Amino acid sequence: MRRWVVLALAASPALPLAGQSVRGRLEGRIPSAAIPAVDSLIQFASQDGLPTEPLIQKALEGGAKHVAEPRIVAAVELSLGQLRDARDLLIRAGDQPPVLPAEMTTVAWALRRGLPTPLVERVAAALGRPPRAAAMHAVADLVAHRFDPDSAVGLIIEAVHDGVPRERLLDVSTAVLQQVQRGHTRAEALAMVQRQLPNLPAPAKPPRGNVAGARRPASPVPP
Amino acid sequence: MSTIDPRIHQVLDGELAADAVPSELRRAVVQLAAAAGLLAAPPASPAASLESRVMAEIRRPVPSRAHRLMRWLVTPRAIILRVRPAWSVAFAVVVAALTLFTADDGGPELAEHEGIAQFVGQFPEAQSVHVVGTFNDWRPGSIALEDHDHDGVWRATVVLPAGTYEYMFVVDGERWVPDHLAERLVADNFGRENSVVIVRPVRR
Repeated sequence: MRRWVVLALAASPALPLAGQSVRGRLEGRIPSAAIPAVDSLIQFASQDGLPTEPLIQKALEGGAKHVAEPRIVAAVELSLGQLRDARDLLIRAGDQPPVLPAEMTTVAWALRRGLPTPLVERVAAALGRPPRAAAMHAVADLVAHRFDPDSAVGLIIEAVHDGVPRERLLDVSTAVLQQVQRGHTRAEALAMVQRQLPNLPAPAKPPRGNVAGARRPASPVPP
Repeated sequence: MSTIDPRIHQVLDGELAADAVPSELRRAVVQLAAAAGLLAAPPASPAASLESRVMAEIRRPVPSRAHRLMRWLVTPRAIILRVRPAWSVAFAVVVAALTLFTADDGGPELAEHEGIAQFVGQFPEAQSVHVVGTFNDWRPGSIALEDHDHDGVWRATVVLPAGTYEYMFVVDGERWVPDHLAERLVADNFGRENSVVIVRPVRR
């Protein structure tokens, strides 16, 4: 069924050719047979108000990994579905359309990292407004380290309510993981950091030597 | 305490002719006679010159504040510097340390929204390692890792805009390997997993 949708989109003359620059980025990077279908999916996403850069990146990734053309199209299509699911989730959580592309990308990330949909929706609703990326990653980090998902979400939401700045929520999960590394149980670690809120240890700065030796990629892409 | 030969006294007092004393005493007689002459001479009268100099100084107009400051600045002065070697060495060490740690190390100037991503991988047999990901359009070969000391640990430090990126290592141009040190992995929708790096702005 999905294949038919892709083929129909590829053949549709009604879609504008606004994606010439997208085609330019894809040509020579993915099998030429995959370009029309991928380009159609990207145009469809654009018209639907979904972010297109993750789809372009997915196609380029498939090309770089020498993945066969049908699998590239399938992966882009799957990514498109994940973005659409993310948008629907955010609207259910209270966001007003049009949903910000960055928020859709963030939620799609969280789902791909394995967070259950109800959990992501709970975080999105509790935070209320963007940006939510740090909160989603903090919860995903804790769940990936086998913390109880509900407890992890509870801690991050409490940190927000206690006034921890959004961009420092990753320091909350880092502080919890550090307590585990020091020999505390997961429940103890969560409780210890919870008591300290909103105070957090300062985030580690990159060593001066690392900064001195850092290079810039030839053409960095905005995240 | 040395004593003066009595015959010299007699010569100086005019009781004895100068050529009556032995030749070895004549030099001393001449020197002492010259000294006595200086002592006997009336002192030069400084009064007039001193008075005139004082009056000239009084009549001279008072120099301006700026002139005095300038004269104070340009007048050479002796400075006595007493140095304790131990403190001097300590001071030199502190200055050297401050110079070393505060000097511009030639690193890139980071913008407010930029951060540092460090990629490290252990590939002992590799001839080349590159990192590719969403930060470079998955373009193989654009960011090479380096192994300067040939210990099999390859590194690259990259300046990136703050954000979340997926990436993998490409070993010897063909083998795609996830970063085993990465704390975050995400399904790549091709049946494998990408590593994830979150770049946080250095300036917050």
